[in-house]
Amino acid sequence: MKVRFWGVRGSFAMSGREFLRYGGNTTSIEIVTAAGKRLLVDLGTGATELAKQLMSSEFGKGQGTLPILLTHTHLDHIQGLPFFTPFFIKGNEIQIKGANPSSGLSLEATLQNQLAPHYSPLNGLENLAAGVSIESFTAGQTITVPGYEVVTAAVPHGSMWTTAFRIMADNKVLAILTDVEYPTPDDPLPEAIALAQNADLLIHDAMHADHDYELRRGWGHSPARAGVVVAERSGAKKLALFHHSPDATDDMIDEMVAQTAERTSVPVFAAAEGAYLEV
Amino acid sequence: MQITFWGVRGSYPVPGAATVRYGGQTSCVEARTASGECVIVDAGTGMRQLGNKLAREAAGRPGQYHVLLSHVHWDHIQGLPFFSPAYIPGTRISVYALLTAADELNQVIGGITRHEFFPMPLEAVPAVFDFHQVEPGVDFVIGRFHIIPIALNHPFGSVGYRIDADGSSWAYVADTAPFDKVLHKQHFLSGPEPLSADDVTALTAMREALVTRLKGVDTVVYDTHFLPEEYARFPHYGHSTPDQAIDICREAGVRRVVLYHHAPAHSDDQMDRIAAEYLAKGAAVGIEVLTSFEGMTLPIGPEEGTQK
Repeated sequence: MKVRFWGVRGSFAMSGREFLRYGGNTTSIEIVTAAGKRLLVDLGTGATELAKQLMSSEFGKGQGTLPILLTHTHLDHIQGLPFFTPFFIKGNEIQIKGANPSSGLSLEATLQNQLAPHYSPLNGLENLAAGVSIESFTAGQTITVPGYEVVTAAVPHGSMWTTAFRIMADNKVLAILTDVEYPTPDDPLPEAIALAQNADLLIHDAMHADHDYELRRGWGHSPARAGVVVAERSGAKKLALFHHSPDATDDMIDEMVAQTAERTSVPVFAAAEGAYLEV
Repeated sequence: MQITFWGVRGSYPVPGAATVRYGGQTSCVEARTASGECVIVDAGTGMRQLGNKLAREAAGRPGQYHVLLSHVHWDHIQGLPFFSPAYIPGTRISVYALLTAADELNQVIGGITRHEFFPMPLEAVPAVFDFHQVEPGVDFVIGRFHIIPIALNHPFGSVGYRIDADGSSWAYVADTAPFDKVLHKQHFLSGPEPLSADDVTALTAMREALVTRLKGVDTVVYDTHFLPEEYARFPHYGHSTPDQAIDICREAGVRRVVLYHHAPAHSDDQMDRIAAEYLAKGAAVGIEVLTSFEGMTLPIGPEEGTQK
């Protein structure tokens, strides 16, 4: 199983020289199995870059199939949707799966609101030329995606819930816990630890450097050290700090990684846009 | 008066090495009078950085901000929830826009911060928002600014603004398609539709009104999202080319055109070529053509130092 980060930034896409090494696009993670089965998690602006690559493959000919999992529908996780070009090619089949937002609105109605005529000339999901299905699941369910087994869990994110994923394929385990804030960051919730159990790679929300966290407690994001505790207690083999703050320049992220690495023997790195990594 | 570009990109923000020089953030321009009064045109992602600057200037004190919206597509409103002065209690933010259909603008703007999309709903934001409907051709005043909205050709409607202050004048003409092939209305277009005689009349009238409003304007910031070959493929997307901008501005006798709302796919190197090509094309017909980049500040009109 390989993973590639197309967007690692939280909240807001950041352009500029200070954000080039880790990247400024909002969240999108591509996963590919040894057999070539592809899965995408989140549709932040990073997904528009992946779209360019996909369009030069079967997706450009209307023969692509892609499952997409959404952690939640805050804008930084869906803002690439109207510009994800495989949606515009007839014949592509794209399945979007996510939990219904905790407001009570369905996932489908939420994405329809995003494409409402005031906000987007697409004027509704029905105008996407590809075959698009929107499927809601209840977080906690195990869901089937061709080539993968995916366990889901609801985790707290400020005033709402997001979905964490344990993604299994090729005898490897990838755990994604982003946009999460535990009541006590130094004592993460047992469901998070269970989800990451013995993961080969844990991707964890690290919006805040540890020293910045106190001022931002309650905003729905974790300090870097929360990911360390989850990794240590779950036996995860490697930790990727993810969902970088829009205020965090490349140098600040370097510093966060160095400080985090001092706390733990689990190998730690900061997620960066770019190459495919073997899980 | 001077204007500063905080976001020059169209459609969606494009971070990365290919956009560091022209910038990757979406539509947002700040206009300032010599006395320091300010209006903001469009609230794309560039508005975050502008907000950070304004909040530093405010140093915690509440202020009054005026935001003119061309329309409410995401790339023109997405920065609003990240405008840091909105989180200073006592701040007032007045938003001006074209209302469409029966919806109230506050519902539309409130809709971008609803629970599914953003952690804090508009009602909970410390700043007080008030909303004002604008109508094409009906002028209004904000402090020293005199403003005339101008109808443009874009899906679901859009307005440009002519903005006069300090004895000088500039106009913001985005987003708009040209006024010949497609008349944008309030429905989805999968491609150009045949024009009725009424459509042709409406387009002609819109173009004439725009040219009339631009007469005497020093600098026009224009939606030039497309190169001609791109426009030929997507004439129904609601955007123009630099050639179309130059045509309109030449007819109106405008001194200077600024290319704006760059396509997300246009890299810095391509933007350099576009800038050079249209600088020359403009010069050939007596118009200065500049290409906007993030952080560019332009003095507008006669108070410019060289004239004294």
